[in-house]
Amino acid sequence: MGQKTPRIYSVELNGAKDMKQTDKGDGKDKYRGLQDNCLELRNNQRQEHLTKEIDLDDHKLSNKELETKYHTNIVTGLSSTQAAELLARDGPNALSPPKETPEIIKFLKQMVGGFSILLWAGAILCWIAYGIQYSSDKSSSLDNVYLGTVLALVVILTGIFAYYQEAKSTNIMASFSKMIPQQALVIRDSEKKIIPAEQLVVGDIVEIKGGDQIPADIRLLFAQGCKVDNSSLTGESEPQSRSCEFTHDDPLETKNIGFYSTTCLEGTATGMVINTGDRTIIGQIASLASGVGNEKTPIAIEIKHFVHIVAGVAISIGVLFFIIAVSMKYRVLDSIIFLIGIIVANVPEGLLATVTVTLSLTAKRMAKKNCLVKNLEAVETLGSTSIICSDKTGTLTQNRMTVAHLWFDNQIFMADTSEDQLKQTFDQSSGTWASLSKIIALCNRAEFRPGQERVPIMKRVVVGDASETALLKFSEVVLGDVMEIRKRNHKVAEIPFNSTNKFQLSIHKTDDPIDKRFLMVMKGAPEKVLEKCSTIMVNGQEQPLNNSTAEAFYTAYMELGGLGERVLGFCHLYLPADEFPETYSFDVDAMNFPMSDLCFVGLLSMIDPPRSTVPDAITKCRSAGIKVIMVTGDHPITAKAIAKSVGIISANSETVEDIAKRLNIAVEQVNKQDAKAAVVTGMELKDMSEDQLDEVLTSYPEIVFARTSPQQKLIIVEGCQRQDAVVAVTGDGVNDSPALKKADIGIAMGIAGSDAAKNAADMVLLDDNFASIVTGVEEGRLIFDNLKKTIAYTLTKNIAELCPFLIYIIVGVPLPLGTITILFIDLGTDIVPSIALAYEKAESDIMNRKPRHKKEDRLVNKPLAVYSYLHIGIMQSLGAFLVYFTVYAQEGFRPSTLINLRVEWEKDSVNNLEDSYGQEWTRYQRKYLEWTGYTAFFIGIMVQQIADLIIRKTRRNSIFQQGLFRNKVIWVGIASQIIIALILSYGLGSITALNFTMLRPQYWFVAVPHAILIWVYDEVRKLFIRLYPGSWWDKNMYY
Amino acid sequence: MTKKDKKSFHQSLAEWKLFLYNPTTGAFLGRTAKSWGLILLFYLVFYGFLAALFTFTMWVMLQTLNDEVPKYRDQISSPGLTVFPKPVTALEYSFSVSEPESYKGYIEDLKKFLTPYASEAQKNLKVCTDGALSEQKGPVYEACQFPLNLLEACSGENDPEFGYSQGHPCILVKMNRGENTTTLLAYPPEGNIDLKYFPYYGKKLHASYLQPLVAVQLNYTASSTPKEVTVECKIVGSKNLKNYDDRDKFLGRVAFKITMRA
Repeated sequence: MGQKTPRIYSVELNGAKDMKQTDKGDGKDKYRGLQDNCLELRNNQRQEHLTKEIDLDDHKLSNKELETKYHTNIVTGLSSTQAAELLARDGPNALSPPKETPEIIKFLKQMVGGFSILLWAGAILCWIAYGIQYSSDKSSSLDNVYLGTVLALVVILTGIFAYYQEAKSTNIMASFSKMIPQQALVIRDSEKKIIPAEQLVVGDIVEIKGGDQIPADIRLLFAQGCKVDNSSLTGESEPQSRSCEFTHDDPLETKNIGFYSTTCLEGTATGMVINTGDRTIIGQIASLASGVGNEKTPIAIEIKHFVHIVAGVAISIGVLFFIIAVSMKYRVLDSIIFLIGIIVANVPEGLLATVTVTLSLTAKRMAKKNCLVKNLEAVETLGSTSIICSDKTGTLTQNRMTVAHLWFDNQIFMADTSEDQLKQTFDQSSGTWASLSKIIALCNRAEFRPGQERVPIMKRVVVGDASETALLKFSEVVLGDVMEIRKRNHKVAEIPFNSTNKFQLSIHKTDDPIDKRFLMVMKGAPEKVLEKCSTIMVNGQEQPLNNSTAEAFYTAYMELGGLGERVLGFCHLYLPADEFPETYSFDVDAMNFPMSDLCFVGLLSMIDPPRSTVPDAITKCRSAGIKVIMVTGDHPITAKAIAKSVGIISANSETVEDIAKRLNIAVEQVNKQDAKAAVVTGMELKDMSEDQLDEVLTSYPEIVFARTSPQQKLIIVEGCQRQDAVVAVTGDGVNDSPALKKADIGIAMGIAGSDAAKNAADMVLLDDNFASIVTGVEEGRLIFDNLKKTIAYTLTKNIAELCPFLIYIIVGVPLPLGTITILFIDLGTDIVPSIALAYEKAESDIMNRKPRHKKEDRLVNKPLAVYSYLHIGIMQSLGAFLVYFTVYAQEGFRPSTLINLRVEWEKDSVNNLEDSYGQEWTRYQRKYLEWTGYTAFFIGIMVQQIADLIIRKTRRNSIFQQGLFRNKVIWVGIASQIIIALILSYGLGSITALNFTMLRPQYWFVAVPHAILIWVYDEVRKLFIRLYPGSWWDKNMYY
Repeated sequence: MTKKDKKSFHQSLAEWKLFLYNPTTGAFLGRTAKSWGLILLFYLVFYGFLAALFTFTMWVMLQTLNDEVPKYRDQISSPGLTVFPKPVTALEYSFSVSEPESYKGYIEDLKKFLTPYASEAQKNLKVCTDGALSEQKGPVYEACQFPLNLLEACSGENDPEFGYSQGHPCILVKMNRGENTTTLLAYPPEGNIDLKYFPYYGKKLHASYLQPLVAVQLNYTASSTPKEVTVECKIVGSKNLKNYDDRDKFLGRVAFKITMRA
């Protein structure tokens, strides 16, 4: 019991991490989703690599052999010329940035992705049509050339926009890991020099000291009290001591090797560089991780699906009407032009740009909540997450040891472990407490860094290890100025803690002016401390230690240990003044003071407590249907205790072992179905087959993986993905990067994370707090809902844009809506409103429903397409046609005259076309009327799109429940629609190339009744959906 | 890999079959008969309603119209000019004097065009006073006679070939009907149109209205070389009738080209 998990915590945490961020500048995002195909293959390769023994034998060589091997001298170092040659040969000592997709490829991808192909086809058809026209008639109009050019421009501009958006989000990351050149102290030409770490070469002799980051893989030649933190490499959180002895065959285990990018925590060392750059152990792992391709993000799949639907509709309608047109004896050339019109009408040109903007708006919002999203698409991925594999330390916990419990006077007291504890509230009246608190304050070597009087105690930087720091802060809170107490109780002798003694001891003059006795205080492993005691203090009185008191001690010790806490025992002894007069000289080596018959005072236990926001966040996850799995390198008991205290293992669920213990039967006899929770250790995981792991993952809702290596994290992630889950994984170490890449969304820790982890991740958690992930999930879910609304809004008017063409072809009326005008809707009036929907608040508590099913809950589903196209779209078309017919009729062409007028209407040679009133129209007069018709139809659509925008605010609730004015951006959108339309009609109406004319003001209101009808109809739809959930109506009308 | 693909192909085929007809649920194209019935009924009612609504709104809109005159005449306040016979290619006449076939079409076109101007057809029309607008109050609107002889050699009465066979082709120029209630100076011999032919009260009230014409006859001297002449006609004499517009080449003017070979 009383497992030892000493860890270095807050000691110069910030300083060390700052340096960590400097190591390499490869903070750029890698383009996602490029290499899906080879993923499986690579996976296997990588697995082999990671498990393969690292080929390194320098740790076995003697100093002499090393000198020969690397042609260097331990005392004088390399010569500058040698170093320059080696640098030229091996390249700089830096991790090569992950292979970037060339910018031009990224750009071209934007040019051909999504709807671009369709639009390119449209543009090319335009040019072909002009070519045909030109070959038959040299003077044919350039309209088609213009249209083709406009379409090409639309593709190029939206492509540039998307490229820019993506580059911008990449830059967020680039600025995040800004490179500060790291320095190294190196011996060259017998001189100590400070050079940039990048210029190190093999054979260089470098000196490191506490706080430094190790600048390359080094073989230690000399070390003094050197300890390193290898957690980013091996996942071990304990500081590892380093010396120059060869202690283990495995280079990862041996003490005489220091690894690139790990941190030297204390002490000093001199070492010889044996590997640089990508050839370092970390470099090998990092390059493997960057080789792992990424899966397509869920939202990318959804958008692809949506593009397929729309493109499918566009192409099938286009081809259908091409055939109809040809069989109606239209010329092939005309039919091609119809085809172009249909494509342009069907493709929501502005939508993909809108989606990008929407995602980046959310990304910005998430960044404010400490989730920095590197890849825009990951915004939504987080929302569809169904499993979160979370680290424990720092993510779920505060990442600092804190006093959690005390035991004295045969009683366990609970201490406050919240982040900003200001005072401790347990009973402090007992005399035992007075003694105990004195021991805690005195028997401690940790000190506050000077000059922090104004800083809250919990935030002060302490020099000392994690436990001592915890004790120091604890006593500072309880007793006040500890430094002052220590000054008054002058320390005369001290034995620091070491792993053989397992105790720490100091002897003090007391501040009691009457009592001249020395006070000896001791803390250490409880059983060791108890061994040295013969009495125990109860209520301030010393009592002999008998069996019953010893038993009480063990019960308490077991109980606290069982909570996963690190327990320390405290005892003291007043040295009799006659034997130890004031002048007595204590000798810690000779131990000229008693080491037995001490007085046991109490126990104190510490834990890295959960962050106070985490239990809430876990509850939220649970109600949101997200499974939280803890994956930690820590001891199972600690892991389980934390899991229980944050709710990953809920209060009433038991593991198989718990049941066995409760029923007092063997573990094998327990019915596994009774257990809801499981704690799986890395050892067990190692022996599991894929199927067994799958079984564990499916049969237990609450799982904790303890004592796992970062490599095993990858196995866990893959297991979760086999369950069709969208997996989010947190990680900070270099070795986590494969898991982070493999996960659907990799989340790196912003504070504790290594650069490699941040590179591999899709998201960086700036405050390392689990709760931030949950707020991220909320945003991700909201954006999915709002994207649905945006798409529904955008798709609706496509029908209103398409119908004019169909009517034109079939009924032969003058063209109601021009292709250019369509572009002005898609890329003009509709843009701001569709972005405005991204600001819509959630309709209900989105954290109360299950995560969406990757394959079933599509972004664009059948009801959405049907309702947008066949309901609102059709209504909108009718409204717009009404405006169109009104304009024509009031100018002289009644609807009956318009039918089948197309051929005469479009003949350039007919300059006396008769209208319903016998008036005769020249070609140009008709053209101008046609443009007025375009404008009228455009205004008709615009007015009804306002209604469409309002109804899209909600999918289920009434608009009045949602509030018309809560989302102010919607109104900005409506205003933008109207202003753009006003400018187009009245401002640019005189520029005929744009085909807009000044429309009489009253025509703006013709479609208003239709707009109101759309609103009413949608309210009725929502009402029935709310009234009859699960009904036929609900199934067919809810999108 | 191929093995996997094949499997998925079979799977998708099976899925398609199941989509076409699912024997367990009896669903056809993903819907059961009842579901199809409901959905068809719904769309019948829904589209029926929309159709009725559209018809109604269109009817309301048509009620706002005046039977006699269009509500607005934004575009045709100025008349366009058109020419007869209708040229085959854009405003270019081309024929050969010696080949009757080459201008036969023009002659037929002219004859057809002039049919309503025949004396018998004009019998019932009023003989109007020259030099004044024929403003009328209704309810019966009368049209003025346009005697063909005003067109002289181009009337077709004396020369059924309209001068084409002699190399003196006739082209008739017509002013488009419209809202032309404006002053205009008169007399066909100079290519003038008399005021009496205006205003025009619309098709419904003014059914028998005959548009005044102006004929242009070119007098070529016979020669073996092809001749090309470009003619432009413009409305002049009224300030508010436009005869020049950047884009509309027929607004108050018309230009045409005649190519004649011997």
